Amino acid sequence: MERPPEEDPPDTDGTPSLEERQRAAGRLPGDRYVRIVRPAEFRRGRGGIYVATDKATEPETALGRLYDRARRILFGRPIVTEAEHEERLTKRTGLAILASDNISSSAYATEEAMRVLAIAGAGALALTMPIALAVVGVLAIVVLSESRVIRAYPQGGGSYAVAKENIGTLAGLIAAAALLIDYVLTVSVSTAAGVAAVSSFVPELHDDRVIWGILVIAILTVGNLRGIREAGVIFAAPTYLYMLALFGLIAFGLFRVLTGDMPTPAQPPQPFPAEGTELLGVLLILRAFSSGAVGLTGSEAIANGTPSFKKPEAKNAVTTLVLMGTVFATIFLGLTFLATRIGVVPDLHEAETLNSVLTRSLVGDGPYWAIVQIATAVILLLAANTGFTGFPRLASVLADDRFMPRQFSFRGERLAFSVGIVSLAALAGFILWSFDGSVTQLIPLYTIGVFLAFTLSQSGLVLRWWRLRPRGWQLSMVINVVGAAVTGVTLVVVATTKFLLGAWMVLLVLPLLVLMLYAIHRHYRSVADALTLESLDHPMPRLIPPHVIVPIARLDRAAVGALAFARSISPNVQAVHIATSEASARQFRERWARWTGKDATDGAREIPMHVIASSYRSLIQPLLSYIDDIDERDPRPVTIVLAEFVPHHWWELVLHSQTALRLRAALLFRPNTIVIDVPYHFEDAAGLDAHTKDRG
Amino acid sequence: MPWKKILVPVKGTAVDPDVVRLAITIGKPSKAQITAIHVIEVRWNLALDAVLEDELDRGEELLANAAKVGEQAGGTLLTELLQAREAAAAIVDTARAQGTDLILLGMPYRTRLGKVYVGRTVQDVYVTAPCSVLAYRQEEPK
Repeated sequence: MERPPEEDPPDTDGTPSLEERQRAAGRLPGDRYVRIVRPAEFRRGRGGIYVATDKATEPETALGRLYDRARRILFGRPIVTEAEHEERLTKRTGLAILASDNISSSAYATEEAMRVLAIAGAGALALTMPIALAVVGVLAIVVLSESRVIRAYPQGGGSYAVAKENIGTLAGLIAAAALLIDYVLTVSVSTAAGVAAVSSFVPELHDDRVIWGILVIAILTVGNLRGIREAGVIFAAPTYLYMLALFGLIAFGLFRVLTGDMPTPAQPPQPFPAEGTELLGVLLILRAFSSGAVGLTGSEAIANGTPSFKKPEAKNAVTTLVLMGTVFATIFLGLTFLATRIGVVPDLHEAETLNSVLTRSLVGDGPYWAIVQIATAVILLLAANTGFTGFPRLASVLADDRFMPRQFSFRGERLAFSVGIVSLAALAGFILWSFDGSVTQLIPLYTIGVFLAFTLSQSGLVLRWWRLRPRGWQLSMVINVVGAAVTGVTLVVVATTKFLLGAWMVLLVLPLLVLMLYAIHRHYRSVADALTLESLDHPMPRLIPPHVIVPIARLDRAAVGALAFARSISPNVQAVHIATSEASARQFRERWARWTGKDATDGAREIPMHVIASSYRSLIQPLLSYIDDIDERDPRPVTIVLAEFVPHHWWELVLHSQTALRLRAALLFRPNTIVIDVPYHFEDAAGLDAHTKDRG
Repeated sequence: MPWKKILVPVKGTAVDPDVVRLAITIGKPSKAQITAIHVIEVRWNLALDAVLEDELDRGEELLANAAKVGEQAGGTLLTELLQAREAAAAIVDTARAQGTDLILLGMPYRTRLGKVYVGRTVQDVYVTAPCSVLAYRQEEPK
């Protein structure tokens, strides 16, 4: 058979442009015009840049389109970067999305404090109101101090940014690690508490509480992946329903109490005994305070999420923060006042919540009781959303500073920090599963992180005011000194009273997380040192053509394509074949000799071939050893050109050995090695047939 | 009249969005193909296919805005960017090449010597177009 002549490379006119200019003749002489044909996938933007259009992101295959449609149904249409400001929060949605954790804490804060005091007997419950006032006092200081954080750092970052800038990187990372842990726990605890509230209605759910909890986390994940604005819309209604229901209940209760219509306290299934089992001491009171202080969690989310607000961000964030504090304090103090005044006691085995007992005392077990219980259950489930807002944003700030993987700073199609959201869901789900969805086991882990972060950020601000001394710095400094002291004392109280109950786990994980953040940073710094161009005057180095090795399994069209490409980049091309037996080695040599024989083109004749017989039929290892040996003899980077056959359908891949893929994986971390893949598509074969016929 | 292909020249004047919306309204019943066109007029001292970066950027922006207005009005617009010595001739030639049924021209309200001024491009298209031409003049500013 006569060999077709070697083809000359086609003439090319430089690098192809995205625009094509078609000259067209008009109707009249001289009416010529030029049609500028632009691809539908790109359009010209200002300043000589091209902007990818919607068409550029459309999938090309039917399967891809199906996947894309399903994704759009689940997560919504992609949002353009320019619409970022439309995705921001108003004060109304901000309160729902960033404050639901704090506000929902009012559903269990009174009960948590009472449960500790009740150990000392019914008489000790009289201390609930003073403890509630102390918690609200701390909250007031926190709100006041956090408003200073927002004004000083409107770009967000919260405690991490404040501590890092004013105290040092280590303090910043401790604050960040503490908050990251707390955000994960917020999701786990809130989900567990919400499921527990629902299972109070439907006891059949109790056995599958972990599965239901994970389902709730999945729903919250999807809601948040749809973007912060939509999440706000989804979560606003339950938050406001809870607020209205509780305000109504408290107003009605106060009216009855003040008009002398004192209701008879309802009884839970198994009330705490009136006689205590422990003496009322300072430690017990401090424990009750630290349990009630669980209601302070979530108040840092607004400072961290300041950039999520519409303009003016800082003003809107401060207003929302004050609103949050007011709503929490009103509900918490209102419920505590009514509970202690009426004399309701918590259930010994958590079969019924204190709020449920109180509501029954005030309005009976009619429809209003059901509304309050449902609203409470839903807001507890949604409180987890604060974690979904705080964690991804903090992780993105850390990623921008190279303390977390860069993927955490990328925004998804809906402008949400998708990697952070999915990672948080995975971690929270894992913790929920590890603790069997039990609120009692999870609660002691909670709140340490947030108080640690508060203390560090308040201390950081004190140093900042002292250093910068802007107008009115004295007042700000006093506020933050008091804030640092109060939150610091609370941190010590919480850590000591909850240490043996599980807080030790957080105190163990925290330094490990800080070390991990440091290690990530060290890696990025060393990579930057290696990659950064010190000067843009640095000339592009001129390289000599490389020494190219082309591993060939069979002498076929894919192999010829790879050899032709190798020859186009270097005159020094070396082919190598690993044979699994001497017979197949001989056969290959004969075929190669025929191909490079007297009729062969110059290019083919100049390619030397090494055939290596592998006695143990191993392909990859002898090839790697061969590459090592060649590399030792040549100072240039070794270049491997791989021929890879790509079948028509993806599922046909399993019918091929994928040697090129395995070899590429084996060479991935080999230094001084360039790997080039020359794919040969099934369609190319048909094209080549037609081409050869034309020429023949 | 059921127009199937409508050509809408855009020039970057205040009347452009009105004309695009009008084209969508007119074309909707017959599911007409609507093309927004912008012609970059190249001065005689330059080659006809000279790359005029600023004009190209502006042209693309005008067409992108027209497409966005069209989308908001519930339609879809094709866009065409041309370079020619005279806009009118290029518009008419494109209409002829595409088999356009209607050219929809927009005129901003301008006066010269106390009379409404109709620009050269509108006049030339009116006179030379092989298809129907509809000129939409912006209302007098109050």
